Amino acid sequence: MINPISYWRLKDRYFNLLGTKCTKCGAEWFPPARVCRKCGCQDLVDHEMPHTGRLLAHTVLKEPSEEFRSSAPYVVGLIELDNGQRLLAQVVDVDPTGLQDDTRVRLTIRKLAEDTKRGTIFYGYKFTPLP
Amino acid sequence: MSRAYVASVGMTQVGEHWRKSLLDLMVEASLQAMNACPSIVPDRVIVGNMFSGAGSNQEQLGAYLASQLNLVGVPAYKVEGACGSGGAAVHNGYLSVKADESEAVLVCGVEKMKDLDVGRATAALAMADSAEYTQFVGATFISLNALTHAMYVKKHGVAKEEMAGFPVLGHRNAASARHSMFKRPITVEDVIRSPIISDPIRLMDSSPICDGAAALLIVNERKAKELGDVMVEVAASEVAANLFTIYERPDPLDYVATRAAAGRALAKAGVKIGQVDFIEVHDAFSVTAALALESMGVSGPGQAPKDVTKGRFNLDGELPINTFGGLKGRGHPVGATGVYQVAEAYLQVSGKAERNQVKGAKVGMTHNMGGVDTTTSVHILRREG
Amino acid sequence: MKPNSRVGILGYGAYVPIFRLPTTEVARVWRGEGAGPNKEKAVAHHDEDTFTMACEMARRAVRMAGVKELGAVLVGTESKPYVVKPTSTMLVQALGQHFTLAADLEFACKAGTEAMQFNIALVSSGMIRAGLAVGVDTAQGRPGDELEYTAASGGAAFVIGPATDALATFEASTSYVSDTGDFWRRPGEKFPSHLGRFTGEPAYFHHIESCVRAHLKETGHTPSDYTWAVFHQPNPRFPLEVGAKLGFKPEQLEPGLLNMSIGNTYAGSSLIGLASTLDVAEPGDRILMASFGSGAGSDAFTIEVTDRIVERRKLGVPVKDMIERSVKVDYALYVRFRGKLQD
Repeated sequence: MINPISYWRLKDRYFNLLGTKCTKCGAEWFPPARVCRKCGCQDLVDHEMPHTGRLLAHTVLKEPSEEFRSSAPYVVGLIELDNGQRLLAQVVDVDPTGLQDDTRVRLTIRKLAEDTKRGTIFYGYKFTPLP
Repeated sequence: MSRAYVASVGMTQVGEHWRKSLLDLMVEASLQAMNACPSIVPDRVIVGNMFSGAGSNQEQLGAYLASQLNLVGVPAYKVEGACGSGGAAVHNGYLSVKADESEAVLVCGVEKMKDLDVGRATAALAMADSAEYTQFVGATFISLNALTHAMYVKKHGVAKEEMAGFPVLGHRNAASARHSMFKRPITVEDVIRSPIISDPIRLMDSSPICDGAAALLIVNERKAKELGDVMVEVAASEVAANLFTIYERPDPLDYVATRAAAGRALAKAGVKIGQVDFIEVHDAFSVTAALALESMGVSGPGQAPKDVTKGRFNLDGELPINTFGGLKGRGHPVGATGVYQVAEAYLQVSGKAERNQVKGAKVGMTHNMGGVDTTTSVHILRREG
Repeated sequence: MKPNSRVGILGYGAYVPIFRLPTTEVARVWRGEGAGPNKEKAVAHHDEDTFTMACEMARRAVRMAGVKELGAVLVGTESKPYVVKPTSTMLVQALGQHFTLAADLEFACKAGTEAMQFNIALVSSGMIRAGLAVGVDTAQGRPGDELEYTAASGGAAFVIGPATDALATFEASTSYVSDTGDFWRRPGEKFPSHLGRFTGEPAYFHHIESCVRAHLKETGHTPSDYTWAVFHQPNPRFPLEVGAKLGFKPEQLEPGLLNMSIGNTYAGSSLIGLASTLDVAEPGDRILMASFGSGAGSDAFTIEVTDRIVERRKLGVPVKDMIERSVKVDYALYVRFRGKLQD
């Protein structure tokens, strides 16, 4: 089950797509890199990624991990943000049968999972077709 | 610096072992290997395993096994690299012997998966990938491979009938193997009609969730000679790590770690890929076998599915792969797989492969991946003389 | 109530989920045939809730307003994801604001307009430069109850700030409340209860009429001084009836009437009607908005549209587009989405 303290640490990553940016070469990284993969600099600062991008590939997931059982089936997409950084996210408000690669998508905050025993809700990013 | 040899192997049946625990499996495989060479007492115990904690509430597997084998005082520890734990454990045993720090290492790979229901097993397997950015968004390990499969098909236009050649081959070889999980051959129709699990991956494209353990005794040259049996050298043992997730990689279809490990292993062993007699390749899903073979240079880009369909990789083909069924046919108890592969390679080059024998096999390669080519190990075994 | 310094709306944003439950479906399950007073209602997906929807509307409003800082974030709702743990703080995190006055307000369907009133006071007092008011709900109706036809999900957010930067300004606001228990829910209960026809005259009509009459007196306006009128809309009929009683013509209400296609979004209802009206309003138009919240009370506002609206609203998403973006669900999917299967 998702750890609530780890979740709290990651809020801005999940709500605002906060990655890191290299202070030397300007390269942007999401997930956040601690050592710049382009120039090796260790001085990176928090930086918000663009909230829009395009869908590179997608799959309809039918057998989720335990905590996501109540959401199945759902679409998982590989998304390339407008700055070239890539991430995985569910794609919502779409009909999976008609979903095309290269569709322009944007971030939306949705519920990811709930710990029904403890009563905590975990929110994070999913993506939905523009507008 | 010594050379390292595989002296003996042990393997449990791969399957659903409701009545055998994690420990039962480890001990069974280990005793098989040890009893084959009663004169050798291991001076080190290394266990390869992925999720004994999440699956059985048990860590510290090195001491756990050593204790049951009455091997007190020897170095004993667990090595983990997701589904590549087995290969990493073998590598560690190899290094100990090469460095003259051990004379005889017991390497045991084990996984107990069937005690978990599907949802929990899926969650445990997903721990191979990022907790914060893969698991948290609801992606599973299968979905990562499904995305890869979709991109692979889009790039090369591969027909699903051709991809199906991999599981068909796996089941055919597994049917005659003693320790394999599946004994029933399947057809291309069976594969492409099987239900979709994570589009486009079907049930029969996926290796099964199962239990099993395999063990090896890796010894130095002196101990190997004393046995008077065929000498099987571990001619190379290489491990390589990739960028952690597929979305951090410039090209998700390029198995960088596989290429690095295979390249180094072949160079170390002084062997070209064309001189290898068989390859035990990591076919967790049909697409991983295809991409691994292409990254190693065995097949051209997008060509591996055509090669398997043409019969190039059959047991009696130009370059046999997965001679006992591979992950799909023999089974994939994740942390154990890498050790099963090396054990199978030993059986091949030592001429003990029975109905699955590749004629004249002398040099074999194994390829074991943790995650999606994230922790990849390649071993080359060679018969001396 | 007139603020000392003039304040207005810098930006607004609405959100309506894409799913629609036809009322014929509700009637089919519970009555065998027929329909409700409205055609359809908007239904949130199972991974949406008051907070996730508030994020959408708030981000749209902030983008239109072009503000970087918010001195207040006030969320009016009766369907908070947590009973104890403010939705406003989660919204604050999503907006990247921390030095804000954040609070959740509850007054049934008028909590959103209250959030607006507090923001007007905070801005006009000079304590903050700009603040956010959100009215949002994932309203629940007891299965089989007539409210199930209309209880819907959605809402709107407004950034309030100085009149010099506003697309519409507030002239005044009036409130009228009394202890009238027409509709209520005790802690731990999943669905609200209500007094049927009593929710009409003694509740909805009495409070809106009392409030608006007082407001017209305070401002010196008559119904014909207004271009548009937006009333809380629990069903398609009530706003037209109360409008007529007060002397407004049906054409004045037209752009704000959404209940027929999306149902009653509770704390979002008046605000989303206002957003829809602003989508078509011209500079110089005068708008009356009067909400109603059970318990009970009404808030009325006189709003004047400025020149800035034409360019500013191009940065938004028209309510009409959101309504048109719709996917029908049946009663079974609705029950799954809204978690009505759990005990």
